[in-house]
Amino acid sequence: MESKTAFESIPIVKVSNLDKYFGRLHVLKNISIEVPERQVVCLIGRSGSGKSTLLRCINFLEEPSHGVIEVDGVRVAGGEKGREHRQLVHDVRLKTGMVFQEFNLFPHMTVLENVIEGPVIVKGMDRKRAVDLAEQNLDSVGLLFKKDEYPMRLSGGQKQRVAIARALTMEPRVMLFDEPTSALDPELIGEVLNVMKKVALEGMTMIVVTHEMGFAREVADRVIVMAEGELIEDNKPEEIFNNPKDPRTEALIVRYRTGGN
Amino acid sequence: MTAVSKSQNAPKSQADLLYDLQLRKERHFRANVGLSWGILLLILVFLFSGQEITIGSQTFSTIKIDGQFILNEIDFIAGGLGQTLLISILSIMLAIVLALLAALGRLSTVPPIYAISTFYVSLIRGTPLYLQIFFFFLALPQLGIILSGVFAGVLALGLNYGAYMSEIFRAGLASVGKGQREAAQALGMTPGQTMKRIVLPQALRFAIPPVGNEFIAMTKDSALVSATGFVHELMWRATKVGRAQFHNLEALIMAAIFYWLVTLVLSYIQNKIETRLSKGDR
Ligand SMILES: Nc1ncnc2c1ncn2[C@@H]1O[C@H](COP(=O)(O)OP(=O)(O)OP(=O)(O)O)[C@@H](O)[C@H]1O
Ligand SMILES: [Mg+2]
Repeated sequence: MESKTAFESIPIVKVSNLDKYFGRLHVLKNISIEVPERQVVCLIGRSGSGKSTLLRCINFLEEPSHGVIEVDGVRVAGGEKGREHRQLVHDVRLKTGMVFQEFNLFPHMTVLENVIEGPVIVKGMDRKRAVDLAEQNLDSVGLLFKKDEYPMRLSGGQKQRVAIARALTMEPRVMLFDEPTSALDPELIGEVLNVMKKVALEGMTMIVVTHEMGFAREVADRVIVMAEGELIEDNKPEEIFNNPKDPRTEALIVRYRTGGN
Repeated sequence: MTAVSKSQNAPKSQADLLYDLQLRKERHFRANVGLSWGILLLILVFLFSGQEITIGSQTFSTIKIDGQFILNEIDFIAGGLGQTLLISILSIMLAIVLALLAALGRLSTVPPIYAISTFYVSLIRGTPLYLQIFFFFLALPQLGIILSGVFAGVLALGLNYGAYMSEIFRAGLASVGKGQREAAQALGMTPGQTMKRIVLPQALRFAIPPVGNEFIAMTKDSALVSATGFVHELMWRATKVGRAQFHNLEALIMAAIFYWLVTLVLSYIQNKIETRLSKGDR
């Protein structure tokens, strides 16, 4: 697959000198990344290497200890407090969509209500317009026919596709995925990956934490490898998989290849 | 191949048969329980029938109650049902509001709010309900505050149940996973919107069955209010006519039957609501 020309356009996400501590635990160490528009980045690394924390710092589900996060021109310095900071964080969240490992659909709302909740309540969008947009996105993930069901009655794969539609309906500039298929039965992983691939092909900027090496190889423009809170390698997928520079990357690839997870 | 087509043509599969068997067992069990209940009731009625039974040379007499007294006073005692239900309903409404506020206060990071919430719960739970009821009827008038009987009763019961029920709402709020709040935050919801739209609806639904239980308990605890002599609910009426005519046995039996019937009806409604909540749209 042809790689989009990276590093040319303006970055949608720019992380500068990010540090994150949990108490005394130094979880992210001086991380800087730029993700240009339309790029799909896969973030891989061993458990505990800080992938989720990095992703969650980008939309401030975790407050960075130091450093600056910039999403589509909104610059927020980490570790601050107060009204102005909260407003900036809010602006960043409006520009980012997030998909969680555990789906986190709202169980007391139907599929459609889940999807229009953000646009109507947060953006104040006209309900009718929100429904149109929601139905369009539900159709695109193949679940329009389930719009009046409650989440409890959906399979895991369907729940995750609804969660993707919910995030997309906020019309974000970047989508963050934190192991979106790790809670799924193996036979349901494919349908979610296909939807993600479709979203990527439509030009969405994406940062995906995943163990799905097939997806990384096929869909990602770029793979970033993390270890112990640092970025140890950042390259095109074919380079990472065929020609790893860091021995830890190599060990990780070998582990995946031998069926480890 | 043949095995498959055979089982498809057969009228009932093995699983269906097992399921039928289980259903029949359950029906059988319920029927027997119902029958036993009936027998227990009959024995109870018989015990209070005033019959004499002779076994060999011994003659036993069951408890004799005065049917005429019951006929005369049943209307008067039944007239207390309305007050009992009124007090219970008003008190549970007050209790729900207080319990919710106390539970939310426990989540607060503002020290005075947290303190008010824990102080209230500790004070109420550390003193007897009976004392609290007398406090509102008897102690407050000494300070020049005179409350109507119903109002004072509702205040005492509501405050008391609110403190205990705050645990229910605390559990309800805790039952809403962290992921729910995070999903709302990620959509850009403010903490207020997250609480109102995402957390509270789920927490309240969680709390409905236990609140129902509390309401049933409340209909019985409302009897304590009678001790003050100002609210003419079931218990007050029963003790009034019972003492006056020295027919406490009959009067209390009547009141007991009314309380029992009320709790039976409420438990039935409670069950219906619970099954409705457990299937459907959870
Ligand atoms: N809320 C928290 N409080 C304290 N420590 C945390 C918290 N969240 C994460 N950590 C720690 O930070 C480190 C990085 O965690 P993180 O979840 O980012 O790793 P990860 O790469 O996503 O791992 P996994 O593949 O298991 O999801 C781990 O050591 C973890 O124990
Ligand atoms: Mg993780």
